[in-house]
Amino acid sequence: MQYALLIYEDERVYENESAYKAIVDQHRAFAGQLAAAGKIRGGAELRSVSTATTIRQSGQGAPRSVHDGPFAETREQLGGFYLIEAEDLDEAIAWAKKLPLWAAGCVEVRPVGEG
Amino acid sequence: MTRALEDAVREAGGRVRAALAARFRDLDLAEEAFAEACLAALPAWAEQGPPRDPAAWLYTAACRRALDLMRRAKVRAGHRPDPPPPGPTPEDLLLEADQPIPDERLRLIFVCCHPAVQPEARAALTVKMVCGLSTAEIASAFLTSEPTLAQRLVRAKRKIADAGVPFEVPGPEAWPERMDAVLSTLEIAYAKAHEDAAGVGAHAEFAGEVLRLSALLAELAPEDGEALAFAALVRFAEARRPARLDDTGAMLPLTEQDPAQWDARLIAEGEALLKQAAGKGRPGPRALQAAIHAAHCSRVRTGVTPWADILALYDALLLRRADAVVRLNRAVALAEVAGAPAALAEIEALDGVEGWLPFQAARAHLLAALARREEADAAFERALALNPAPAERLYLQRRREALASG
Repeated sequence: MQYALLIYEDERVYENESAYKAIVDQHRAFAGQLAAAGKIRGGAELRSVSTATTIRQSGQGAPRSVHDGPFAETREQLGGFYLIEAEDLDEAIAWAKKLPLWAAGCVEVRPVGEG
Repeated sequence: MTRALEDAVREAGGRVRAALAARFRDLDLAEEAFAEACLAALPAWAEQGPPRDPAAWLYTAACRRALDLMRRAKVRAGHRPDPPPPGPTPEDLLLEADQPIPDERLRLIFVCCHPAVQPEARAALTVKMVCGLSTAEIASAFLTSEPTLAQRLVRAKRKIADAGVPFEVPGPEAWPERMDAVLSTLEIAYAKAHEDAAGVGAHAEFAGEVLRLSALLAELAPEDGEALAFAALVRFAEARRPARLDDTGAMLPLTEQDPAQWDARLIAEGEALLKQAAGKGRPGPRALQAAIHAAHCSRVRTGVTPWADILALYDALLLRRADAVVRLNRAVALAEVAGAPAALAEIEALDGVEGWLPFQAARAHLLAALARREEADAAFERALALNPAPAERLYLQRRREALASG
């Protein structure tokens, strides 16, 4: 099965340049481990949430409006994701537990649709 | 249902359902196939008499039903059907009925108690799949409405299927984390069984299953102190069941029970397990609770309850689990050691427990002990309004009457 590992952190911790450099190194190492195990299918780091634009539709067929900012204003925001291949949820959780996080944060594990 | 079928379902239903779930990796399919096998058993057994091994008959029949259901689902999804198998005759089933049914109950418990399953749904799902209780029975045991519970079970099963929860017993590295979820689930299930002193109906089945499952866990994880302690705890508590009612069917509190009626074999088993649990690291909350039960059971030998020891154990437990249940039970021990006023002050400091039966009952008893009759009477009334099980209702009513006449 494929799973998306969605990374939610408070991006302000990366205003400190050495923290950012360190986490990038950790992600390289993590992606290397995934690749060595033949598990990586994709992934990306997202630019700052200050660059986000949200297009919203208020109902079926309703006109779409464009807004500045992310879809919800929360302290922790989606900052990047990995797409991985895993045998089952336990394997995906095991990878999520190894995924680098700098301070407080979450990794949401979502199975990818097979349709 | 015929008697033979009822017996087979009660004795082997959990094992058969677990084997089906493990084989087909689908909880819904396992339940549906098992239900259909039971339906098929009715006419077949009525005509020819019950088979030699009813569990194996049901397992084989359910496997066929499951394969058939899978084939039909494929057809609905637009795939070409596999050629249908020749329909099983009752003779086939009898011939095949010797295949052993693998015991996959532990695997099923780990699936139902996976941390990815909503905590409120874990215990209900486990009892449903492993003990085979109906949604209505579980809803009444968990004080939930049937539609709410049914919806919770559907959501949990869907999550297990869609998120890819593995049908495996986790590796040893994951045991500490996973074992806690499993033990908490069994604890909830057992608390429901223990609440009703009479132990009738659905609750009695719970208790029997938890005795068996806790022994299974202790056997599989002999190095896990908490698993051993939980198995001990359930044995101490169940040992007292024969003494929990008086001749009129009213509940007898622990201190008024006749220890001669306690089950000596279960107490001995509990003591052996607790001994085995000691020395597996720092005692966890379940080891402390089991030690409290062991102390109560020691009255069978010494004739007295060691309240000071029990209070010290509650103090230690409070450091791990500062919840209302522990604080209330500690207060009961405190009343014995330091008197009712101290205990009453403790429990009246608890928050948000107005609608909780054990709180109102304990408060009523303490007020009665202090001869504060009017307040005690009002507290008994409140406790009785909280829907106690029949045996406890009778007990509370008697105490209330004694208050009026005393």
